[in-house]
Amino acid sequence: MNRLEADARAFAASAVKELRITRRYPAMYLGMIFWPVLLPAVWVLMAQAYSGANDARAVAAFAARAGTTEIAGFVFVGYAMYMWLSTILWGPGTALRREQTQGSLAAVFLTPTSRLVPLFAPPVAALPNILATFGVMGIAMWLLFGVVPAPDAALRAMVITVIGLPAMYAIGALFAAGVLRFGEIGPVVQIVRGTFVLACGITFPVAMLPAWAQVGAALLPPTYIVADIRAVLLRGFGLADVRGDVLITLVLTAVIAVLAVFLFRALEASARNTGMLSRF
Amino acid sequence: MQELRAAIAIGKKDLTILSRYRIAVVAQIFTPLYQGVIPAFLFGASFAVGGRVLGLESSVGTDNLAGFIFLGGVISGLVATSFWAIAMGLRNEMDQGTLEATWLTPTRHDTLVIGRALGGLVWFFLSQVVLFAIGMAVFGLRFRIEIVYALPALIVAIVGMVGVAYILAAIVLLIREANFFIDCTNFLFSTASGAAFPVTLLPGVFVPIAFALPTTYAVDLLRQQAIGARPIVDPAAEYVGLLVTTALLFPIGRWAFARAERTMRRRGTLAQY
Repeated sequence: MNRLEADARAFAASAVKELRITRRYPAMYLGMIFWPVLLPAVWVLMAQAYSGANDARAVAAFAARAGTTEIAGFVFVGYAMYMWLSTILWGPGTALRREQTQGSLAAVFLTPTSRLVPLFAPPVAALPNILATFGVMGIAMWLLFGVVPAPDAALRAMVITVIGLPAMYAIGALFAAGVLRFGEIGPVVQIVRGTFVLACGITFPVAMLPAWAQVGAALLPPTYIVADIRAVLLRGFGLADVRGDVLITLVLTAVIAVLAVFLFRALEASARNTGMLSRF
Repeated sequence: MQELRAAIAIGKKDLTILSRYRIAVVAQIFTPLYQGVIPAFLFGASFAVGGRVLGLESSVGTDNLAGFIFLGGVISGLVATSFWAIAMGLRNEMDQGTLEATWLTPTRHDTLVIGRALGGLVWFFLSQVVLFAIGMAVFGLRFRIEIVYALPALIVAIVGMVGVAYILAAIVLLIREANFFIDCTNFLFSTASGAAFPVTLLPGVFVPIAFALPTTYAVDLLRQQAIGARPIVDPAAEYVGLLVTTALLFPIGRWAFARAERTMRRRGTLAQY
C-alpha cells in the first residue's frame, strides 16, 4: 500500500469515526430541523414588518438593493450560507480542539498520516448533515412561503456550491491553525462568523454596507458564493453570467489555501516546540 | 432578612465569576449587537424609501427602526437572562457538582433562584445601558421621554420572568439535554413575545401563545411609550394581560420548582448529571 492509499484509508476511517460519534447524540438531529426552519422564517416575518406586509414601494426599494423581490428566497439562501459557514468555521478547528481536550491530538500528530486527515476528515463527515440542512430549508421555503426554485436553477446552485466548497474549507483550515497556537478559539470563531454574517450579505444586501466595508466584503469568497447562488436561484442567471465571480472565488480560494498551509506548518512547528499539542 | 442576604450573596458571586472572564463579558455585550441588532437594522433599512422605513410605519405606527429593534433587544435580553442566567445557571452548578452542597445549606431553595435572578438582572441592566449608549452614538437611537411610563410594565414583566425561570429551572434539573432545550425555548419565547416583529404577524395558531406571555404585553407597552408605536390591543387590556399572566406564572413556577425538587430527592438525582 503506497502512502496515498494509506492516507485515503485513514481519511475514510476518520470520517466514519466522526459519523459514528455524531450518531450517538441524536438531539443534534432535532437542531438540524429546528434552526434551519425557524431562523430564516423569523427573518421573513421581520421582512413582513419592515415592508408593511409587502408594500410595493418598500419591496421595490429592497429589490433595488438586493436585486430580487423574492424576499423569502433571499433570506433562506442567506441562512443556508450561515449554516454552512457555521459548520465550516467550527468544523476543522473543533475537530482539532476536541482531539486536544481529549488528550489525543499529540498521538494523532505522531502517526504518519497526512495532516489533511485530522483537519478535513471530520468536516467532510459533516457534509451529509449540511446537505440535509439545505434539504430541510428547501422544503421549509416551499411549504411555508411557496418559493420553489426551478430544477435547473437548483442544479446551477449546486454547481456553485461545489465550486465554493474548497474556498469554505480553506477558510476553515485557516482558523483551525489557531488551535495549535491558542487552544480555545471558540470566541474568535464567534467573532469571525459575526464578521462574515455582517460583511458577506448573508442576512441583508451588501449594498447596505458603507463603501469601506463593501471593499472588505469583496475580498471574502462567501460574498460571491451567496450572491451567485441567489442570482442563479432567484434571478434566473446562468453559470456563464456569474463566471467572473466564480473566477474571483477560485483565485481567493488559492490565496487563502496557500496562507492556511503556510500558517498551519508554522504553528505546528511552534506547537511541537512549546508542547501545545498535548496541552489544553 | 437572612434569605435576602443569601440572595444578594448569590447574585454577587455570579457577577464576580462573570467578571473573571473578560472576553465573555465583552462578548455578551457585542454578540447581540453584531449578530442581532446590526443585521436587523441593515435588513430593515434595505426597505427604506427616501430614508424612511414606510413599511414599518404601516406595520407598527412608527418608522423609528432603531428604537423598534433595540426595544425588542431589551425583551430578548430579559428572556435570555431568565433562560440562561437563572435557569441554566442552576443546571451549570449541577454539572459542576456543587448543587448538592448548595442544597444542603440552610438557605431556602427558592432563594437560589432569586439570588441568580438578582445577579442576572444587574448584568442585564448594565448591558442594556451599554447597548443603548452604542445605539444612540452609532444608530441614531432616540426615545420619547414617555419611556419612563413603561417602567412599571417592565418591572411586572421581570417578576413574571422570574416565574418562568422557576419553571425552566424545574425542567432543566430533571432532563439531560438541557442546553439544546434552553437554546430552542429561549428563541421561541423571544420570538413569540414580539421581540423581532409584531405578534400579529405570527401564524394564527401561535397568536394565543403569544398573548399568554407577559413579555408580549411588556414589549408592546414599552414600544408604545418609547417610540409611539401603535398598540396591538387596548393599552389598559395589555396591563390587565400583563398582570394576570404574571400573577399566574409566578405561583405556577414556584409549584413546578418544588415538584422538581421533590422528584430529585426521591430519585437521588441531585448529584447526578
